[in-house]
Amino acid sequence: MTKKNQELMNRLAEAARAGSISRRSFMHYSLAAGMTATAATGLWTTKAAAQAKRGGTFRWGIHDGNTSDTHDPGTYLTRVMIFLAHTHRSYLTMINGDGSLGPDLADSWEASVDASEWTFTITSNASFHSGRPVTAHDVVASLNHHRGDATTSAAKALLSDVTDIKADGDHTVVVTLTGGNADFPWLMTDYHLAICPANDDGTIDWKSGDGSGPYKIDAGEFGVQFSLSRHDGWHREGAYFDKVEIITLNDPNARQTALVTGDVDAVSLVELKTMALLQRDPNIVIHNIPSAGAITMPMHCDTAPFDNPDVRNALKLAMNRDEIIEKIAFGAATKGNDFHHSPAQPYWPDDIPQREYDPDQAKSLLKKAGAEGLSVSLSTADSVYAGAVDMAVLYAEHAKAAGIDVKVVREPNDGYYSDVWLVKPFTLVSWGARPTPDVMYTLAYKDNAAWNESRWQNERFNELLLQAKAELDDSLRAEMYREMALLARDDGGTIIPFFNNFVYANRANVGTPENLAASWENDGARAASRWWFTS
Amino acid sequence: MGDLLGLVAKRLGFGLLTLLVISVIIFFMVELLPGDIAQAVLGQGATEENLAALREQMGLNKPAVVRYFEWLGNALTGDFGTSIVTGERVSTIITERFINTLFLAAYAAVIAVPFAVTLGIVVALLRNTLFDRVVNVLTLTSISSPEFFLGYILILYLAVKTGMFPAISSLRPGMTFWELLDRTFLPALTLVLVVTAHMMRMTRAAIINLLASPYIEMARLKGAPPWKVIVRHALPNAWAPIINVIALNLAYLITGVVLVEVVFVYPGIGQALVDAVSKRDFPIVQSCCLIFAATFILLNLAADVAAILTNPRLRHPK
Amino acid sequence: MSVFVIIYFACLIASSCLAAYYEKRPTFLTLFSLTLISFVLGIVGGVPALRFVATAAGLLAFAAGISFAFREFIVIIAPANISKEVRTAPLTAAFGMFVIFTYAIAGIFAPWIAPYGESEVIASAFAMPDENMLLGADQLGRDMFSRIIYGARNTVGLALLATLAAFFMGAFAGLLAATKGGWFDQFMGRFADVIMSIPSLIFALLMLSIFGPQVTVIIVAVAIIYAPRVFRLTRAVAGNVVVMDYIEAAKLRGEKTWYLIRKEILPNSTAPLIAEFGLEFCFVFLLVAGLSFLGLGIQPPTADWGSMVRENATMISFGEITPLIPAAAIALLTVAVNFVVDWMLFRSSGLKE
Repeated sequence: MTKKNQELMNRLAEAARAGSISRRSFMHYSLAAGMTATAATGLWTTKAAAQAKRGGTFRWGIHDGNTSDTHDPGTYLTRVMIFLAHTHRSYLTMINGDGSLGPDLADSWEASVDASEWTFTITSNASFHSGRPVTAHDVVASLNHHRGDATTSAAKALLSDVTDIKADGDHTVVVTLTGGNADFPWLMTDYHLAICPANDDGTIDWKSGDGSGPYKIDAGEFGVQFSLSRHDGWHREGAYFDKVEIITLNDPNARQTALVTGDVDAVSLVELKTMALLQRDPNIVIHNIPSAGAITMPMHCDTAPFDNPDVRNALKLAMNRDEIIEKIAFGAATKGNDFHHSPAQPYWPDDIPQREYDPDQAKSLLKKAGAEGLSVSLSTADSVYAGAVDMAVLYAEHAKAAGIDVKVVREPNDGYYSDVWLVKPFTLVSWGARPTPDVMYTLAYKDNAAWNESRWQNERFNELLLQAKAELDDSLRAEMYREMALLARDDGGTIIPFFNNFVYANRANVGTPENLAASWENDGARAASRWWFTS
Repeated sequence: MGDLLGLVAKRLGFGLLTLLVISVIIFFMVELLPGDIAQAVLGQGATEENLAALREQMGLNKPAVVRYFEWLGNALTGDFGTSIVTGERVSTIITERFINTLFLAAYAAVIAVPFAVTLGIVVALLRNTLFDRVVNVLTLTSISSPEFFLGYILILYLAVKTGMFPAISSLRPGMTFWELLDRTFLPALTLVLVVTAHMMRMTRAAIINLLASPYIEMARLKGAPPWKVIVRHALPNAWAPIINVIALNLAYLITGVVLVEVVFVYPGIGQALVDAVSKRDFPIVQSCCLIFAATFILLNLAADVAAILTNPRLRHPK
Repeated sequence: MSVFVIIYFACLIASSCLAAYYEKRPTFLTLFSLTLISFVLGIVGGVPALRFVATAAGLLAFAAGISFAFREFIVIIAPANISKEVRTAPLTAAFGMFVIFTYAIAGIFAPWIAPYGESEVIASAFAMPDENMLLGADQLGRDMFSRIIYGARNTVGLALLATLAAFFMGAFAGLLAATKGGWFDQFMGRFADVIMSIPSLIFALLMLSIFGPQVTVIIVAVAIIYAPRVFRLTRAVAGNVVVMDYIEAAKLRGEKTWYLIRKEILPNSTAPLIAEFGLEFCFVFLLVAGLSFLGLGIQPPTADWGSMVRENATMISFGEITPLIPAAAIALLTVAVNFVVDWMLFRSSGLKE
């Protein structure tokens, strides 16, 4: 940690305490000093904690749970497991309500000058529910669970740049990377990277469901429900509820009526169709939080007719995003601009002109490309996003005006991500929120990324991506992301109709902090430890 | 009586053969499903390498036929294996859920069967009157909405608007029997509405079908009141088709209630089966399907035996 | 005391008296008991309750009127032997025929009847009904009325094809099994058991996941699921016919199997098959709707009643009628088909009353 940063952080903390700094700039600056956020964390939550009351059983209805879920963090997939993980396990770092990065198990972290070596200091007062303290060895074993040839973890790609993880004493972990990555502490918030107790042989014990999170599991059945009670030795502020019940509610009507009748206190997802109707109920509070999750429509840039940038841009222009947001997302979305960087992420360039619906220009672009009367097939499935198929149908109607014939193909939900995504040349995909633009671009836009869904190869873009990754200077970094955004928008192969909001709700007697994290629904999946009952 | 036992033994033998054939069919259908289990477990976030690692770990690299016979060998000794995805024993996953499913089915059946048969008799008695028509229209309407929609309507009126019953039927350990009945009333009622029409109509049709036979004519000429003609003379001979339909509907109450489980968040076996299909978790799919098939076969056998027992002519074949 | 109430009771009492005068006993009893019940209803429920009764009675009378007119219409235009049969049909059966006829017209001439295209977006989401849109708009702003009309073509067409396929396969196999007997009979019986023992929804789910949710696959899957039921029924009914003396006689005459089936067995076992047809036909809608609940169904933007119910089903919890419209379309057809089936069943039972 540089001295300059330390001073900046101190001043920031001062300003935040005095209330003389806005949330947006607070977030902005604490990102700049990401690795030293410790001092400032909890300022907003402390404010909230002043009002919070302890007690009660929080009944939490969550969509998307499956009978065949397991406690293995490497194969976390459903929302229920992700939310449960944030409730009964800990991570090294966490995303605060205001979008800044804060400490969880790690008290602080710092980088070497080129950002290729990161040192995390593990808090000394954390313990597992079994009573054993959390040490650096547990962290090393938990991270190694996702590495190596034999791992079955879906987070393997995320940690592919890591060359070495070692414990230095009981409370220090040193991670070495192949190259500089200024965002590395952000990566530690990924839901797979939960810390579990280590076995003697360096593996982890995930089967027991033991963790060091705010609540411990008393009883549970996968795909049905979990009962948890407060872990008294939790190492952070919060955990106001005495008990938490996580109930799997896959059916939208079941979630909605359970909330209306008071069978649950909060739900993780409100069906957008009925959002406006639900709003009339005075006992219910709906949260509509812009997120970094996106709907993308990748076109394979190496496949005709998408190998021509003019055709790609014509298809981008042939979409009436306003109508799609109005009818598919019912207003709960941020308009996309064909680069995968959301206003909810840091470094968002706010001066790039918005691409609007322009069938005439699309027509002239097609003429220029000699591709008049273009006909393409767009593959989608119901499970991609509520209304994904409707959206494709609507887009096909829009594209008609530009003389493009879009054939909507509804693929089976089963196996969509193995047989259609990355395979068919034009698909509709839903992406979860990623904390920083670097993570997103590296995953799905880098030339050699496994999930480069549009097969887009742009030399300048990839050069900038590597530069920005290791750049610790904030304004230089922002400038690079701006240029990358323009490249993606005007040359890239991905149409981004919108960034979807998280829309969830709770009963009016549940208290919520002023700022709700945008990393997952329900306050970054941490409602259990951040919310409380007001009556 | 000996003939009856012989029949039961023969049917049970055929039943076992049927189960064997079903296990082959289900196995290969699950094999044919697009996508594979490793992909289903890891979802969108999977890469080639960890898919391969997971396949290896799950033992999916052996040929399908070998895996089937391994499963069959174990199943014949009463061991239905472990879930490929979670590694849990299939029996522990399924047992409790199957009990829940049976409970809900029994709950619905206890209401629906007497109700449907009584209604059928009354309607046959009052055939072609306004009452007959109205009952017909009502029951037909109730089976013509998809059952999830029927569930939504019941939730709206009986849970949201009046608050008489809970909207979701999630079960907790340590619930009393009355609490249980209260919690599961709405799904049971939905199922009652779904199955009543079929049984009621068959009762009506079976009785009316007999009313023109000479012996009924005879009873009527002797001056027996209409209700007595139906209950004493027509009904005993109409039992066979009625029992058949009752068996079919009881089987449906156990095997066909996935949608009701989803709508009311009831932890039954149907949900486990659909989940397992989406994950390609063959041992669970197989076990659930075999349980369903066995239920169906046993209920049918019971229906046939009951039909023979209720019909003197079948009991003493010429 | 409002004018409405006075007119209401005046009409009831007057018609009761007329019925009594012309010695129509059942009509008189119905009308007069309705009068008595109305007194109680009026006191308990007030004018709204009476209005409800009046509306219901009006609708009933309207339906009866249409049915009557339609029956006369068929009697006049149909050839002599059919019109003789139809003349004896009760009003409910006539009503059923009328509804089926209307649906058939709507389905066949959908593109000419529907004011807008099947997937044409013309308004905002869930727009209220107005003079352009009889039933308002759906979730994408497509005309609900047009989609219901197109739905008649797609849904009924699909259900009809699937049920016919199931009946063709099932009945043929059943008749053959009953006639041939022996190992063929045994084999087909076991085979039907196997298919019936697999829960239908799961079977369809597996089939559609494997072969993709195309219409042809749905039809084949549904046909395979329902064929065994038809088979068992046909086998049972034909089994009773086969042992009759006249079949023995035909066999001794040296008639071929096909002749026996066509000329002797089939005509004597149609009634229960038709009755079964009525219910199975409706179960097909529900199976397809259930499949679309699980995410497998007819390809969009094709309008299909089952999927239309599913897409907006949650709106019902807020008292919105959008999902009720396609559900009512299904219900009306189910009731209509079964009214006709009831009549045929009644005729075949030989009961004269």
